[in-house]
Amino acid sequence: MAPEYNRSVKFRAALKREIPAWTEQGILTEGAAGRLRSLYELDDLGKESSRLLAAALFTLGSLMVGGGVISFVAAHWNEISRVPKVVLLFAALLVFHIGGYWLRYRSAWPRLGHALIFCGCLVFGANIGLLAQTYQVSGSWYGMFGVWALGSLAMAWAARSWITGLLVIVTSFTWFVGFADDFHERLAIVYPPLLAAALLPLAWTIRSRALNTLTFLGLIISLPVLALVRFSNERYALIAVTAGGFAAWAAGEFHRATEIRKEFGVPASNLGLATLAYAAYQWSFHWAWQWSGNIDWNHLYWLIPAGFAVAIGVALLAKAWARMDESLRRSAAGVVAASLLLCLSPPLNRFSEAWPTVMVNAAALVIAAVLIGKGIVEERRLAFWAGSLFVATLIVSRFFEYESSLLLKSAAFIICGIVTIFAGVAYEKFLHRREAIAQ
Amino acid sequence: MNRHALYFVLAVAAQFLILAAVPAQKIYTRATGRSVTLKIRPVDPYNVLSGYYVRLNYEIANPRSFANSYDDYQGERVYAILERRADGEWRPVSLSNSYPANLPENRIAIRGRYSYSRIEYGIEEFFIPEDKRAEIEQGLWKNRDQARVEIKVDSKGDAALVRLLIGDRVYDY
Repeated sequence: MAPEYNRSVKFRAALKREIPAWTEQGILTEGAAGRLRSLYELDDLGKESSRLLAAALFTLGSLMVGGGVISFVAAHWNEISRVPKVVLLFAALLVFHIGGYWLRYRSAWPRLGHALIFCGCLVFGANIGLLAQTYQVSGSWYGMFGVWALGSLAMAWAARSWITGLLVIVTSFTWFVGFADDFHERLAIVYPPLLAAALLPLAWTIRSRALNTLTFLGLIISLPVLALVRFSNERYALIAVTAGGFAAWAAGEFHRATEIRKEFGVPASNLGLATLAYAAYQWSFHWAWQWSGNIDWNHLYWLIPAGFAVAIGVALLAKAWARMDESLRRSAAGVVAASLLLCLSPPLNRFSEAWPTVMVNAAALVIAAVLIGKGIVEERRLAFWAGSLFVATLIVSRFFEYESSLLLKSAAFIICGIVTIFAGVAYEKFLHRREAIAQ
Repeated sequence: MNRHALYFVLAVAAQFLILAAVPAQKIYTRATGRSVTLKIRPVDPYNVLSGYYVRLNYEIANPRSFANSYDDYQGERVYAILERRADGEWRPVSLSNSYPANLPENRIAIRGRYSYSRIEYGIEEFFIPEDKRAEIEQGLWKNRDQARVEIKVDSKGDAALVRLLIGDRVYDY
């Protein structure tokens, strides 16, 4: 397999800054410097940031034009009769798509073309609304979002458009929530795998980090929606949230360790960790485990997609494990342990209220430790401080949750505060030492 | 035609096919169906995609309006049999799980679906222009007992809304 290069703007900008100094010091020859410039397309960096700004403006403009068209349809303007109005909007759909195609593939304005194709998909949604309005098509409100998602998905693939892919996530998710809530909760379990199958390969093909990460976000949210939409068993929904978070984190670690689509790694891994941290915090309160009742196993149909998510996560982690160094393995083991603690807590609630509370709090602390460890080993300040803040939040939450002696609370707070400050100082010293050695 | 162009044409074709499929059933029912006028009790919400509409509540939406109503079967298909009385009004008669054969001339069957202890027929929303909203709202308030809709019902029992009748005013969009 051909090696994948780090194409991130941050890395390339740093490389561009360093090359003159390395050449001057004789570390790099002029020829090698030239090859690096060419390999990483360093001379295009300035143009790329201008193009990015233009693309953002075009997309924002398209979003507003599309919103305007949808609002025009919603107004049900009666000055134009039925047929010309339909013809007008169908023509607008064709103009946006044909114009978008021509600009994207046949001119020097590919970003504008991309934005017009996206706008065409918004107009497509408006056309669905217009036809429903014109022919008085009523029925399930979510149905329109479903067909909008299908048409947009076809275009997202045809035009290889990440922004249209995001539109598919939003529209299909809206459909999914309505469909599941309308007594189709069992049939709706196909949504998470379908979403993944429809969009993750597209994100892979067009190398879109945004689409990859947001598809995982859609998957993560859809699992607890399935668990809660018809039978509100909040305790067991923890398993659904954990399964999605674990799968996203494992996929991120796979990309990081194997360096296949390396750019997908950090966002997916962070999203997964953030989800696990959220789950651990949300269920860390003892009242989340009160009033334990018997679970109706027939209501746990959502364990099928959640189980698939976990199985895929385990398979990806197994692939990544061989490429991980010792520190990565330690943090991976921590995340696996935290996920197991979270998943085992709801079944234990049948026998005890205290054990699930303790286990979830332990999982939260393990996740915090993983974040702090990542901060230290990978020199990522943000991870370190996120972990520290998480520990502090857990302590403050328990302070307000339990009624105990104020003196005891005061002592606990002071000790925790001092320990946290010392840890922070030690970490900053460590980073400064590393920087001094590097210089 | 190159690969990009081919995929693009296929995607645009898929979007047009979807657009054609959205109103197809209603167009067929409007073209081939039999006219029925039903009394309504409306309320008016807003749909983000399609704008304002009057939400229509029918006597036949309540399963208890039928002599043989059965308990709540969510998502279950059902056929509501209506009979035209001497005064021209269509009133609920009975429910059936299949399309009834050999209906007399003064009876008709409409296909519906149980949802949240009610029966929906796909004729519950009448879309109206934004600038007519106040007029229709006022008309419905003043003529609560004279508000009706004209629908068409085809040979399979599918129904399509045609127009809203409030007192002597007709709204057809």
